Amino acid sequence: MPRFVSYKNFFLLSVLVGITLLVMRFTHLERPQLTPMEAAIKDSLAPVQGALVRIAETFRNGTEFISSLGRLSEENKALKEQVSLLKGQLYLQEELKQENKRLKELLQYQDRYKQNFSVRTAAVIGRDPGNWFGIVTLNKGSKDGIVKNMPVVTPSGLVGKIVAVSQNTSQLMLISDPRSGVGAMVQETRVPGVLEGTTAGTGETRLIHVPKDTQLFDGQTIITSGIGGTFPKGIPIGKITGVSNEPTGLFKTATVVPFADLHRLEEVLVITTIYNPDILPPTEGN
Amino acid sequence: MRSIVFLLLIIIALLLQSTIFTFLQVAGVKPDLILMLVVFNGFLRGSREGAFLGFLAGLAQDIFSGSYIGLNALTKMLAGYLVGLAEARFYKESVIIVSLVTFMVGILNQLACYVLLFYLNIEVAPFFALGQVIMPSAIYTGLMVPLTYWKFYSSYEKGWLREREP
Repeated sequence: MPRFVSYKNFFLLSVLVGITLLVMRFTHLERPQLTPMEAAIKDSLAPVQGALVRIAETFRNGTEFISSLGRLSEENKALKEQVSLLKGQLYLQEELKQENKRLKELLQYQDRYKQNFSVRTAAVIGRDPGNWFGIVTLNKGSKDGIVKNMPVVTPSGLVGKIVAVSQNTSQLMLISDPRSGVGAMVQETRVPGVLEGTTAGTGETRLIHVPKDTQLFDGQTIITSGIGGTFPKGIPIGKITGVSNEPTGLFKTATVVPFADLHRLEEVLVITTIYNPDILPPTEGN
Repeated sequence: MRSIVFLLLIIIALLLQSTIFTFLQVAGVKPDLILMLVVFNGFLRGSREGAFLGFLAGLAQDIFSGSYIGLNALTKMLAGYLVGLAEARFYKESVIIVSLVTFMVGILNQLACYVLLFYLNIEVAPFFALGQVIMPSAIYTGLMVPLTYWKFYSSYEKGWLREREP
């Protein structure tokens, strides 16, 4: 046997292997805790490891960036497509949410006024192509029980009345149409007047023929007066935003902005039957 | 044939104006696409045909609207006639000139409409009429011209709207 594999060395080697094998057994993964030495090593090395890993990461990112430059435009395109797809889905969801909200409001309105009148929901499917008149086409007609002169409202307020009916559609004249005239009054002071439209484009209406000695203020609420018979009493119409004297000097005119957004009508309620024209619940505006 | 294509264009314009353009309102008004087509036609064809197709286009609009049939027929006929008078006087290739002509005729057309409204006992305060309808719609319509005139012009030269040899 050569000299360097003496019995002594062999013995030491065996002891070393034996201890190592033992240590192996006792340092299995599920042991309760690290040995103090292990812990100390780990703790002292941690900052160095961290720094090294960061350097390596930076380096890797750099090389990845360089190597990915070629693929970037493709990836960008794919991501953009994905973004637009997701955006589309988001818009759709938002649209459904909005619709749900609107329909819910209509339902609540229907429930609240159930004892006073019954209504039919109709959707707006078109508008007058010109700029003078405020005529809106609805998707319900005589087949659904709609007849001429029925008042049309939204939960926010009065919209107009039906002026023509075909079997499947009806024409709604907005209160902003220059031909429209609604018997109206100021809610707080009960001063009556006539509410007429200006042009469909402005979306504004005017309360005319109000005696000069009455008090009209900005912010007062205008409601239907029931005079004329077409519209039941007490439906909110809008708010006064300006008061001026008529050229004749006898009357005042108030500019009234309707509560209902006449430019953005989507669904409306056509009042088909009025049970009790006089006793309407207290009105409310926006 | 040409007239039929033109009327088809009018119907498309009516549908667009009563649906999509109600969402594209600026200052509360929509552009008058029908007037624009009438102006193009009168500008390229002269007074006689301008007035004739103007009348038909206006009539189509009135029937589509369902009230005061004849209101737009008359005003659009006037517009077509007036533009036709300019036919021989201007270069037909210039979009700027066509835009300006459309703007001017837009004002005259709406003023005629305004007068007829009085005849129909519909009162609109002059302030609202001028400031909220007449001027904005003439401007909007004039601005729509550059987007569409080239197509119409090339169709007139060598497309569907070309004059057939007798």
